[in-house]
Parts: sequence; structure tokens; C-alpha cells
Amino acid sequence: MENNEKPSIVNHRTYLAVWVGLIILTTITVSVASRNLGQWSIAVALTIAAIKAGLVLSYFMHLKYERGIGLFKWMIPGILILFILFIGLTFFDVAFR
Amino acid sequence: MDAHKNQHSIGSKTGMWLFILSEILLFGGLFILYSVYRYKYAFAFHLAAEELSRPFGTINTLILITSSLTMALSILYLKKGDRTSSLLFLAATMFLGFLFLFIKYFEWAGKVSHQIFPNSPRLLERNQGEILFYGLYYSMTGLHALHLLVGLGVLFIMGILIAKQKENSPNVVPLENSGLYWHLVDIIWIFLFPLFYLIT
Repeated sequence: MENNEKPSIVNHRTYLAVWVGLIILTTITVSVASRNLGQWSIAVALTIAAIKAGLVLSYFMHLKYERGIGLFKWMIPGILILFILFIGLTFFDVAFR
Repeated sequence: MDAHKNQHSIGSKTGMWLFILSEILLFGGLFILYSVYRYKYAFAFHLAAEELSRPFGTINTLILITSSLTMALSILYLKKGDRTSSLLFLAATMFLGFLFLFIKYFEWAGKVSHQIFPNSPRLLERNQGEILFYGLYYSMTGLHALHLLVGLGVLFIMGILIAKQKENSPNVVPLENSGLYWHLVDIIWIFLFPLFYLIT
């Protein structure tokens, strides 16, 4: 079988760098929240949260390093698109009721 | 033999990912509920969120992020065959998980001592939006804390299994799958934190 994961790709330095990135993003999102951005604040907060989740998914959960048919790689974005679609449809209903 | 083992590991990993997807949909439903009510009661959500402790939330976020790092390191060291370091990082992960729950307990206890909990007379006097906010707050952070508690149990069992393993090339897949679950719990908190603590 060729779809082995290559454990040598990720080392502890990569993990540390991701951790530092997550800490920095957390401080950014907290400091942005204390400034009054009005309507944009939720968009900024969710964008930062999405970037953080992306970092955890690709590095800590190894999605970036999955080999083979790439099933895992497509399942997560697939479910996220489905979820965003649900939110969109819900709001379409709520807003025009 | 090796190919068979590999096939087995792919199978169990796929199963774990399917479970994670079902978890995303479970929380996803609650997130949709949250977003609709926040849209309807924007000002009440803002008022109610002001009362949540931002420092507690921030500290807990940092704790969970760090626990994800120690979890990933625990798996890394087990792959390298260094069981002692792996167990050490696993213990650190569990310690951070307990710390998170400990802080969460104080946060909840503080709210309850101010008579703010679902169906409390003091809360029912407030307007509809604030009641909904606290309902969602308790159910979503509560469900998250429950997941963390389950995660701690899983990690505890993993620690015993790893400590008991005698061979030099231990089976990493169970710990990897537990790690995936732990990171999922982290990701859910990454979204809960700005939605409940950082409303402006």
C-alpha cells in the first residue's frame, strides 16, 4: 500500500510554530473585540476562529499530510459547505418570514 | 501482515472521522439556533454577554490550545517509540483539561450564585433575548464540557494502555484517534469563545 502517512514530515518545531500562531490569533481576536468595529466585529471574530480551526485541522489533525485517495481531505470541507448552506437557508427563511 | 495492519488503521481512522463529522453536525445545529436568536435579539445578546468573564474565557482558550499542542506532541513521541515522553505529554494534556473544567466550574458557580441559571426566578424576570442567551450558554458550554470530560476518560484509558504495552513498536492508531477527538473539542471551543465571550 502506498497511502502511508509520512510521520517524518511533522516535527515538534512545526507543532510549536502552529501553537504560537494560535496564541497570536487568540490575542488578536480578544484585542479586536474590545475595539468597537460595529457590524464587522462578528465577521472578524468568525474569520479568525475559522483560521484557527484550519490550523488545528491541517497540522494537529494531520489533514495536510493525508495521502492516498484524500477522503479525509474532502470530507471536512464537504461537511462545512453543507453546514454553511444550512445556515444560509435558515437565514433566508428567518429574514423573509 | 504489514499491509493488513495498515488497512486496519485506515479503517479505524475513517470511522473516527465519520464520528467527528457527526459531532460537527450535533454542535452545528446548536450553532444555527444560536445565530438565529442572536440575529433576532442582537441587543439582548450584547447585554447578556457583557456579564460573562472575558479573562476566564481567554485563559480557558489558551489552556485548550496548549493542551492540543501537548496532545500532538504525545502522539509524536509515541511514533518515535519514546513512551516515557509520550506519557508525560499525555499527563500534561489531562492536567490542562482538568484545569479548563476547574475554571469552567468557577465560572458557572459564580453565575449560579448570582441566581443566573436556567429557569431561575431572577433570570426569568429579564427579557426574552437574555433568557435565550443564557439557555444557549449553559447548554452549549455544558455539552462542550461533557465532551471534554469524556475526552479525559479516553486519555486516561490510553495512558494505561500505553504504559502496559511491552513491545517497542507500540500501536499508535488508538492514541491518534483519541487525539483527533481531543482536537475536535478544542476546535468547538475556538468557535464558542468568540460567540459567547466576545460579543460587542
